[in-house]
Amino acid sequence: MKILLALVKKEIKQILRDPSSIIIAFILPLISILIYMYGINLDSVKVTIGIKNDDQSPEVATLVKSFGHSKYVNSIVFDNEKDIETALIRSKIKGAVIIPNDFSSKLSRRQTADLMIITDGSEVNTANYVQSYVASIANQWLATSKYNSTIVKPRINTEIRTWYNPDMDSHFFILPGSIAITMTLIGILLTSLVVAREWERGTMEALLSTNVKTIHIVLGKYIPYFILGMLSLAFNVFLCVCIFQIPFRGNYLILFIVSGLFLFTSLGIGLNISTMLKNQFLASMMSLGLGFLPALMLSGLMFPINSMPDIFQHFTRIIPPRYYVTFIESEFMAGTIPEIVAVNAIFLSVIGLLLFALMYHNTSTRLEASSKRVRLESVQ
Amino acid sequence: MNTVEIKNLTKKFGNTVAIDNLSLNIEKGKITGLIGADAAGKTTLLRTIIGLMLPDSGEINILGFNPETQKDELNLHIGYMPQKFGLYEDLTIRENLELYADLKNVPHDFDKMLEFTALTKFQNRLAGALSGGMKQKLGLACTLLGNPEFLLLDEPSVGVDPISRRDLIAMVREMINPNTTVLWSTAYLDEAHNFDTAVVIDKGKIIYEGKPHNLAPTPQEFENKVIELMGGYTQEESLIAKNYEWKSKYCDENDDECLTVEADNLEKRYGNFYAVKNNTFKIKKGEIFGLLGPNGAGKSTSFKMMCGLARPTGGTARIMGIDIKKNPEKARSNLGYMAQKFSLYGSLTVRQNLEFFALAYGISILKRKQKVNEVIDVFGLKEYEKMKAEELPLGLKQRLSMAAALIHNPPVLFLDEPTSGVDILTRKDFWNHITSLAKKGVTILVTTHFMDEAEYCDRISLFYHGETIAVGTPAQLKAQAGAQDMETTFINLIKESEKQ
Amino acid sequence: MIRDFLRRVVALIKKEFITIWMDPKTRGIIIGMPLMQLLIFANAVTMEVQNIDVAVMDRSKSVESRELLSRFEHSPRFRNFYYTDDKTTFQKYIDIQKVQIGIIINNDFARNIKSGKTTSVQIITDGRQTNSASIAGGYASQIITGYGAEAVPLKGAAINASVRNWYNPNLNYQWFILTVIVALLALVITLILTALSVARERELGTFDQLIVSPLSSVEILIGKSVPPLIISIILTIIMTILVTVFFQLPFRGSLALFLIAISISLLAIVGVGLYISSICNTQQQAILSVMTFMMPAILLSGYISPIEDMPVFLQYLTYLNPVRFFMVLTRGIFLKGMGIEDVIINLIPLIIIAAITLTLAGRTFKRKLG
Repeated sequence: MKILLALVKKEIKQILRDPSSIIIAFILPLISILIYMYGINLDSVKVTIGIKNDDQSPEVATLVKSFGHSKYVNSIVFDNEKDIETALIRSKIKGAVIIPNDFSSKLSRRQTADLMIITDGSEVNTANYVQSYVASIANQWLATSKYNSTIVKPRINTEIRTWYNPDMDSHFFILPGSIAITMTLIGILLTSLVVAREWERGTMEALLSTNVKTIHIVLGKYIPYFILGMLSLAFNVFLCVCIFQIPFRGNYLILFIVSGLFLFTSLGIGLNISTMLKNQFLASMMSLGLGFLPALMLSGLMFPINSMPDIFQHFTRIIPPRYYVTFIESEFMAGTIPEIVAVNAIFLSVIGLLLFALMYHNTSTRLEASSKRVRLESVQ
Repeated sequence: MNTVEIKNLTKKFGNTVAIDNLSLNIEKGKITGLIGADAAGKTTLLRTIIGLMLPDSGEINILGFNPETQKDELNLHIGYMPQKFGLYEDLTIRENLELYADLKNVPHDFDKMLEFTALTKFQNRLAGALSGGMKQKLGLACTLLGNPEFLLLDEPSVGVDPISRRDLIAMVREMINPNTTVLWSTAYLDEAHNFDTAVVIDKGKIIYEGKPHNLAPTPQEFENKVIELMGGYTQEESLIAKNYEWKSKYCDENDDECLTVEADNLEKRYGNFYAVKNNTFKIKKGEIFGLLGPNGAGKSTSFKMMCGLARPTGGTARIMGIDIKKNPEKARSNLGYMAQKFSLYGSLTVRQNLEFFALAYGISILKRKQKVNEVIDVFGLKEYEKMKAEELPLGLKQRLSMAAALIHNPPVLFLDEPTSGVDILTRKDFWNHITSLAKKGVTILVTTHFMDEAEYCDRISLFYHGETIAVGTPAQLKAQAGAQDMETTFINLIKESEKQ
Repeated sequence: MIRDFLRRVVALIKKEFITIWMDPKTRGIIIGMPLMQLLIFANAVTMEVQNIDVAVMDRSKSVESRELLSRFEHSPRFRNFYYTDDKTTFQKYIDIQKVQIGIIINNDFARNIKSGKTTSVQIITDGRQTNSASIAGGYASQIITGYGAEAVPLKGAAINASVRNWYNPNLNYQWFILTVIVALLALVITLILTALSVARERELGTFDQLIVSPLSSVEILIGKSVPPLIISIILTIIMTILVTVFFQLPFRGSLALFLIAISISLLAIVGVGLYISSICNTQQQAILSVMTFMMPAILLSGYISPIEDMPVFLQYLTYLNPVRFFMVLTRGIFLKGMGIEDVIINLIPLIIIAAITLTLAGRTFKRKLG
């Protein structure tokens, strides 16, 4: 116990003396939260569109005006399609509306008038926004225009209710999600070089000739980074809940327990990389490739897992952030749901324990045993 | 009663036999020196003895334990200091001691230890900021914690100045009790001559085991005997020097009075602290100029400023008349540099390294192949040319570094502790080349901690606390200090300077 | 003079190539990892919400409600349906994420339709996945409106939005994300290759050896930037070929412009990487600095949310972000067939970024000596 404590104390001192750990654990999350909060807006994107009006009737002029008044749309009037194309290529506008010359006459004849919407398909999300904004502005205009007596109200309304996040504020889910990214970075990136470093500097050899046992070495690496990760978690939760007022409906104890499990698995990935790869370049590549990118792309944070092809859905099962993202978003927004907590906690524990066992297996109190040649070279 | 009993030990790495059917007994309470060439199997033997490595065959019994199966029990009774001392550079002296005390389950009572190592003043300094001598003392202090019955030290004196080395031996003798057994691997034969027993190994086999004094009564003779045991050294004509062509237009080939390297009031200041202070010297063509001094005296800093690796805060240096501050690239093209630590590209092969440096120093592509072939032949690297540099044994690495430093026929050669950690045979061979090169007109600036090597220098500058305290030929310095050998000279002059 | 210069630079470039390329593991990872990730991400990542599981509480149990629900069942986007009459079970399905969407049809549904009254269908979406929720909700309301329009045919004036999506007629999300992934992976590889290179030499002590040689800062700089630049350009080209061949991504622009654009973009990233490397003493610091740069750079590149939508201050900040222009260029040339003039407009900031970072890196190489 005393030995473990000594190793933990040593590692903590090393962490504290290296400003880069502090940057990753506290400064980087602060920057990303600020960016998510103020730089990224997934809800009500304001788009600039071009308008070309071929219908000279005064009633249609009010339609053009109403595009100018919408809070979601900025509009620029164009005279010919060529200019629209140029503006679209330069991303000056994200789409355009062309009002054909028979627009008002068709409406007066109680017919369906075409409204041509052009979008910049190279930005798919924005293109979708342009479609729905333009259609809804046009329909609203129709309802208040002189043609309104002739339109037929839909008989079946769709009432959409969004549970857990009635205002559909995307910050409510993206900020907890960013915690998952930070936890991944601490777990994988910070630790992926720490074991290799001890071999390189010859300190491991000195440790191995003292009373240190395998379990001390393994826990001596896990515990300090675990503490750092949990402090960072507390800091992140504080920022989210107290500073940025993200509602937290769950239970803090459960949040910290499951986050701890996730951190345990992330540390397992990072420490295993470090134990197996002596080359820091390879270790860095692996930690970004196995850690950061999958956490960003395949965890369900940005892209829904359900929509992936089956084989890739199964693939995500080996990606720990997947479970954590599901858990933390649910815990924040929906509160503690026993099934969600249990399923994700179990998967995280299983993966974490497997990784721990692997690390234990690969850590030897000798210079050789499992991966003998590798170690030997790095020590000489 | 024996501390170590080894019978028919064999250890292989792939096809290489590191330890070959070796049997050895080490008596309890004795200090045993382990001597051998690089890659002779010293480190492997130490590692196998304490169970860090497993033998392929043979029996080992250490203090009644079998390190193969009882490593954990054995660890409680030993102290082992690996080659790099095993210190955490980002922890302070005190924190390092506390860590190892906890790992060995002994109380935090370091007063005596700190006092003895003269580290009390510095106990809150980071280990990484210590000089080589202090690191070594701290490493030893950590190893000695808990009074181990059996102490194993793997080349503790590499890169350490003579004063610190003396302190170290004194410290070991003082801190151990009569029952402690010490196994001390070393490249310094004068050091080994003082021990109770000497074990000389070569190619994984013991070639001598017994009292050093039985082999030879004086350190010098002991050295000769050991060289003989290791196969003997015959001085041959240096092909490296033979192939050297003088090219510089700055000095005429026969003008031996030409000043090739000049330091002009060099100064390096950090805040109020002077690492180097008005350092001035002039070196003539073909001279071997030695920079000697304790660790941390400012040798390395001077050295680095001379070749443009550090910026002087005052003064300047000229190489072949070119100011290193004003025209660094041009000045350096006259320079061959061999760093303290092996610093060629480990992942490149021997040939690729040489090709790179040939081109980097401006040898034309057409001549390059021929030049590299020549260098490979001359330096005896033919059979290793396709090996990666990181896989070479230390002695060959050293040779490769020198080959790279000499590939462009530089008129000036800077060698920063070129022989640190290198065995006696390789060193002899190395100095044979150096002295022959000097005869061909190459100016050599060298730092070393081997006092016997200082004898090869034409002139020596002794450095202490950032300042030159004595300059002269080895004979002059000896006379000044009233001593017979360089080591005593060194120690006397430093002590004298300390009094003032 | 110039011959000496070239000779030294070539030697350095060759050496860098050997160090990166000699080790089969490194080689495998540099080429293999991004290609593998390209294949995985390209297939896995989509914004089109599919395989939606649905909980249904049909209190009407009428022909009309069956008809409406069968439209859901026939839509390719919806997958499994769980019917229940129990409110708690319904809520549970959503709580535990067994389903992503819930449909509640009231018992007066059929009656209202028959009597010509307005009726409503409730759609419950899961706000924990805000994005997919709104998209799934949109799909559901389309189906319901479609059914409503047929059940009660429209008469009178109406607006029909006829949409043309330029450059990507079916709004295929994969097209968009592929250009992003190619840029993202090229970014990661280039940054690691460059950021670790000087830091590694510092750690091993070989950088001193370089400085003592007659190599000037400019030569070291060129020697250090060319190999990673060439490797990342080749990698980007391979990825480009892969996405056009396997994912049928249209390549509308000029190949020459594309090559110029990615070369300059990658050069700017090389500059950033080398600058990071020149100020770091260890590889650990370098890799963490890369992360500190990369996170905000990706988030503010405009691919997650449009730059025009950011606060003005951040919009100006993105002018310093090479990733922003890199993404605009890959997407623009690939999908929109961006012309020379527009390419140049986006290249100018990149050239400035490259010039500044490379100059700083070159200066810092030696300034670090102390």
